[in-house]
Amino acid sequence: MRLLPIAMLASLPAMTLSAQVGDEDLRQGPNRDWLTYIGDYSAHRHSPLTEINPRTISRLAPKWVRQFPGTGDLETVPLVYQGVMYATITNQAFALDAVTGQEIWHYRAQDAQRTAVNRGVAMLGDRIYFSTADCHLVALRRTSGAVVWDREYAALKSGYSCTGAPLAVKDKIIVGVASSGQTCFISALSAETGQEAWRVWTVPRKGEPGSDTWGNFPLENGGAPAWTTGTYDPSLNLLYWPTGNPWPDFGGDRPGDNLYSDCVLALDADTGKMKWYFQFVPHDTHDWDANEAPVLLDTEFRGRPRKLLVQANRNGFYYILDRTNGEFLLAEPFVKQLNWATGIDVKGRPMVAPHTDPSPAGVRVCPTVHGATNWWSPSLNPELGLFYVVALEQCETYYSSAQPPAPNSGFRGTGHTLIAGEPGQFYLRALDMKTGKLRWEFPMPGPTLMWAGTVSTAGGLVFSADDDGDLVGLDAKTGKALWHFSMGSNLKASPMTFSAGGRQYVTIAAGRNLFTFGLVD
Amino acid sequence: MTLKWTIALLPCLCLAQLDRVGPPNSNNALLKNPAAVEAGQRRFLQLCAACHARNGEGGQGEGQGPNLITSWEVRRAPDKELFGFIKNGVKGTTMPPFALPDDQIWELAAFVRSLNAPASAVPVPGDAAAGEAIFFGNISGNITTNQGCSACHSILGRGGYLGPDLSNIGAVRRLGEIREAILNPKAEATPGYRPVLLEVSKGERLRGVARYESNWSLAVLDERGDLHLLHGAEVAKAQFQKRSWMPAAHLSADEMQNLLAYLCRRTTRGSAN
Repeated sequence: MRLLPIAMLASLPAMTLSAQVGDEDLRQGPNRDWLTYIGDYSAHRHSPLTEINPRTISRLAPKWVRQFPGTGDLETVPLVYQGVMYATITNQAFALDAVTGQEIWHYRAQDAQRTAVNRGVAMLGDRIYFSTADCHLVALRRTSGAVVWDREYAALKSGYSCTGAPLAVKDKIIVGVASSGQTCFISALSAETGQEAWRVWTVPRKGEPGSDTWGNFPLENGGAPAWTTGTYDPSLNLLYWPTGNPWPDFGGDRPGDNLYSDCVLALDADTGKMKWYFQFVPHDTHDWDANEAPVLLDTEFRGRPRKLLVQANRNGFYYILDRTNGEFLLAEPFVKQLNWATGIDVKGRPMVAPHTDPSPAGVRVCPTVHGATNWWSPSLNPELGLFYVVALEQCETYYSSAQPPAPNSGFRGTGHTLIAGEPGQFYLRALDMKTGKLRWEFPMPGPTLMWAGTVSTAGGLVFSADDDGDLVGLDAKTGKALWHFSMGSNLKASPMTFSAGGRQYVTIAAGRNLFTFGLVD
Repeated sequence: MTLKWTIALLPCLCLAQLDRVGPPNSNNALLKNPAAVEAGQRRFLQLCAACHARNGEGGQGEGQGPNLITSWEVRRAPDKELFGFIKNGVKGTTMPPFALPDDQIWELAAFVRSLNAPASAVPVPGDAAAGEAIFFGNISGNITTNQGCSACHSILGRGGYLGPDLSNIGAVRRLGEIREAILNPKAEATPGYRPVLLEVSKGERLRGVARYESNWSLAVLDERGDLHLLHGAEVAKAQFQKRSWMPAAHLSADEMQNLLAYLCRRTTRGSAN
């Protein structure tokens, strides 16, 4: 019954596109539109659209392709509102007719001092917001692309880079920064003016709680980047923002847990005040960022309704936390190639296996630095109770170095190499969302080079990038591959789906192109 | 013609090719010195205009000087090299050496650089506040019934939709281009701003611009800022107009200079800081 009004809405002609995107729209999550990078505030990436389903998917075919010459492989996940698609490449934002792919407007931050990938825009009111690679947040009129303001939120000389899609929450736009050797931060900027409302450093300042988890290591160089998009629970008014690894990535003299690296931080959306944190990998020496999506889930768990946060972490474990207080509830490996820990204890702390720290001679550790998964998007089908994650089974050799660390020089504390004769493989895995147990998997032979994720639909499908360069449509319940299309390039972005003019579409960036698929009549 | 009427004719500054030039390769301090640039301009008229034309747009015919406004060689040349072009001439061309004191050559170089530089990088005399009032239709503190240039153009979120956003105009256009676009707007609209009248309801038509057009679909941004996506037969709701919405401006010399002083300083970066 829920689908009927959506279908009726979708059948209306897309005409006057001046409405404001409000808080309620963002809370509602995907319907015909796709309003946040993560699909909704919970990062389910689960669309209620059903036109494309196991019975119709054989008629799915390309509708248009938009090329973006002069850029690298795209990582953007476009947003769609009322038939207009908003996508990004480095330092540029585009509005496209979502039905035809034709360009409506194009904005280029021509004075940007750096280039990097860009993962997308945020939308609120009559504006869209995107970050330039040199950390300016730019507000543009949604219908015209005209600049409303341009705000630098991290100084160029500080060496930060900004690649993530911002998140619009109430009257603020949330952004984060990344660096190699500088302590990072998460900021909330006024959606109206760009003025910074609050900033949370991802490593404590001297004397603050947690600052004693670094030994004598300079706290201003701790890293812990916030380079992906977090989630938000309106009922608790809490943001859940993940952080990355401590610097140097593979070691260095930083004894202790190195808070708040590799954490999820629960932050008051109005003030930035940290309500709780959970650290997945204390004292990380393998570059296992926790920047994967912290997915929010309300469900009965162990006999009572709970507000959960689940994450398939780069370290190979699927976690379930109580998101009201950060209480650890469960961890379950979702890859077989996992030797760095023998398990997770009752407090959620990993039981680290001996001799798994990088060494001068090298040590074989699983997962790789690529991770058991990474920033690419998982999705969650609440009706089926399944969590879809692209997982990588692989190990590699990690090395340490006695070289003194040098911030902003690319130094990472030495490195890692893949192991000859041990090829890895990606899998799309469907996990029971309440236990992390494997329900089905779809193997993906290929060069283990992709960086792309999934989208789930109420039509009974899950779409995923494949390591061989295909976009694949699978039966959400069984994992049976029903459709595929070779995109002609390595995939580094996650698919999304929307409806315009009464028809459902699926879009994914591939190489320098944006592909959109729909049903052929 | 009264000022009020003049302003009424200035709702649209349709400026083409908004993303072409980069900053000049210059540390010449004289570029920021209006007196030096003006001195260079006077000397340019005496010594250089015969070959390069009065405004540096280049001479006609064989052996004449190239266009200095668009010259990539001028843009990329370091200051010393540009200085050397003038002092020593350019071998293999008809450009002769000029036996002038060094300070006069630096003034000439500053003027040539100003021709080639984005408007925000050169000193533009005039009262920018008065120019802002012209842009937004607010003369001498009194809000006029029209909105000036801002009826069609916007700057940092204020203004209309029928012309390009000018928030960064000083960074992407040269002074001469801005002046020319105001004084002599082309009948043909900038791509993405082709004028249409759009039927939005029975008997109601709005001015708009076609942000894109094809045989099969059309996106029209109307004067209220609403976007209309027309597919198939809906395309017929838009009637293309022959002339750009941009009218010619009729400003006094002072008004023109003040408007230029305002527009040339419009840059996006740091606008909210």
